[in-house]
Amino acid sequence: MSENYKFDTLSLHAGHIPDKETGSRAVPIYQTTSYVFNSTEEAASLYNMEVGGHLYTRISNPTVAALEQRLAALEGGASALACSSGMAAMHLVVSAICSSGDHIVASSKMYGANINLLQHTMPRFGVNTDFVNPNDPEAIKRAIKPNTKLVFGEVIGNPGLDIMDVPEISKICNSKNIPLVLDATFNTPYLMQPFKHGANIIVHSLTKWLGGHGIAIGGAIVNGGNFDWGDKDKFPTISGPHFALGGISFWEEFGPSALIAKIRAEGMYNFGPSLSPTNAFHLMQGIETLPLRMKKHIQNTHSILDFLVNHEMVEWVKHPDLETHPDHEVAKRILPKGSGSIVAFGIKGGREAGKAFIESVQLASHLANVGDAKTLLIHPGSTTHSHLSSEAMKEGGLTDDMIRLSVGLEDINDITKDFERGFRAVKKLNK
Amino acid sequence: MIINFKGAKTYIGTGGKSLDVTKMTLCFLHGAGQNHLSFIQQARFFAYKGYSVVVPDMPAHGFSDGNPCKSIKENAEWINDLLVELNIKDVVVIGHSQGCLVALELNRILKSSFEALIFVAGSNEIPVNQFLLELSKENPQKASQMMVTWGHGIDGDMSINKWPGHSHYGEGNNIMCMNKPTALRYDLHSCNDYSDGIDAAKNIKVPALAVLAKNDQMTPLKSGLKFVELIKNCETHTLDCGHFLPSERPMELNSIINSFLLKLK
Ligand SMILES: Cc1ncc(COP(=O)(O)O)c(C=O)c1O
Repeated sequence: MSENYKFDTLSLHAGHIPDKETGSRAVPIYQTTSYVFNSTEEAASLYNMEVGGHLYTRISNPTVAALEQRLAALEGGASALACSSGMAAMHLVVSAICSSGDHIVASSKMYGANINLLQHTMPRFGVNTDFVNPNDPEAIKRAIKPNTKLVFGEVIGNPGLDIMDVPEISKICNSKNIPLVLDATFNTPYLMQPFKHGANIIVHSLTKWLGGHGIAIGGAIVNGGNFDWGDKDKFPTISGPHFALGGISFWEEFGPSALIAKIRAEGMYNFGPSLSPTNAFHLMQGIETLPLRMKKHIQNTHSILDFLVNHEMVEWVKHPDLETHPDHEVAKRILPKGSGSIVAFGIKGGREAGKAFIESVQLASHLANVGDAKTLLIHPGSTTHSHLSSEAMKEGGLTDDMIRLSVGLEDINDITKDFERGFRAVKKLNK
Repeated sequence: MIINFKGAKTYIGTGGKSLDVTKMTLCFLHGAGQNHLSFIQQARFFAYKGYSVVVPDMPAHGFSDGNPCKSIKENAEWINDLLVELNIKDVVVIGHSQGCLVALELNRILKSSFEALIFVAGSNEIPVNQFLLELSKENPQKASQMMVTWGHGIDGDMSINKWPGHSHYGEGNNIMCMNKPTALRYDLHSCNDYSDGIDAAKNIKVPALAVLAKNDQMTPLKSGLKFVELIKNCETHTLDCGHFLPSERPMELNSIINSFLLKLK
């Protein structure tokens, strides 16, 4: 009773206590689409959002809810909603808050799909975005317009590893009464809890470190509950009357959880990006060991940074925990446990060298994901960006020698040995 | 709905239906440092059951402006005047925590049109420890956090919630943060200073219901059980949860209240 459990404990327990009937210690997988009503009255009260409960798995499910409540506890949020992917989460937030004619200010250095959604898809629906440098709070301030409905960015940018100065940017958003929405995929609540720094809404790709094992795609929105949606002219979708439920005002009736109530009542109903209960179970299994894994991810990352920085075949290394990184000071301040386990580095010899390295390593996996327990690598110059010239890549902030590394949990000596194998292949090529 | 009452913007939750004073009215009174959002899962539920529902944000709480009331008596007078202003006659008053003390006082003023009294996690007295009283002045946010933690049973610690995806702690803290910073301090002092509860309880002439919580650390069960002994024929139930019974056990609470109301009809 009133223990105020700590992070490691919540990672294991939050969202579930064994039920009296079965005593199941693990969270059961409620693999069901729907739920028997005890009475017509009960059914009506669930449909009318009079009380909480489960109606249909597209809207909510007990296994998924356990995951949501675990995430809300780990982030210190008012409520959370899990969905089919990180991109689904992002789209749910944008579509819940913005309507045609609205404006977004977003970081210019983000994961490609986040950029594409805002740059190409949303303008077709009348929602336009201005992209600004994420590490320039003043530029963010200048970009805010009267019709700006949210500011969005990644705490640690993918793939450039720019760090947002969350406390500074949240002060700006707060003063303009605009919610700060952050993609916190790369930091996870273990490395940094954005609500403590004034952010209002968190978006996660659970596919990455939270799930941690590369076995399930999933996403989540965590609602800080710390934003005032009361301006009906500015946020009509949250505080004005809803088209159903008797014209409910989510802000008046759900207060801190208004955004999640809105997303469940509209986004989950009408778009339907629900998370499968089995995937929710897998993702929760991952979260149970999040603190342990993140510690080891960071430990291995720091060892790999030492190794790469001192390696003769390496042209450059980029990571916010290195003093050479332009955002190092901000990283030290807001990410004191470490700035994640993604490292970018350039191999001497350009595009061909990168290709040779990737093709010669055997332990590290060559694939398009990050945040697995296993070490992952990708060489954009010979894969995702192979169609671009070196100059065109530079314009996008990338270089053709760049390798993106997601540091795994293997024995560090095995990783470095594997990399030596790759560097030997590059050396041969350079001869 | 928002009205101008005693010169201040005043918010009254009506459970998503418009107010119809020709029906029996359920008036929910929130606890110390709380607001209408303590009754998220009661307001709509009873409004959709056909009752007229009134959940005021007391002055300086939730969406209401104005200065906080400085005693239980002042709170009760404010509610009394509000009911007159809204022309509400047949009323069942449902208090939670401090709201129970206000309901007890209100019972003295508003004798004629009371239908029944419902006490949720209530007692005839709510002494507040000196530490919390001082903290509510120096750091109301910290005091709120402590109350939210103490106030919930194991469901709070474990992030268990009947409403999928919601967190008692996260939501509870933010609900309290919506109030003006001085609201909590005056509420806690009002609770601590109130000493007429025994007389007020003995004077109840209308049907009464008490729903108490087994693991209540704010108004302990022992105190609640003594309280109900003072009331003539008080129907009493105890639920296995903490002080924030309306959000911890919404369905059980609603069902008990609903059965009680049906007996009144
Ligand atoms: C920072 C970031 N956000 C969001 C996503 C999208 O996540 P998902 O693949 O779960 O949709 C990714 C995926 O790589 C990502 O790196």
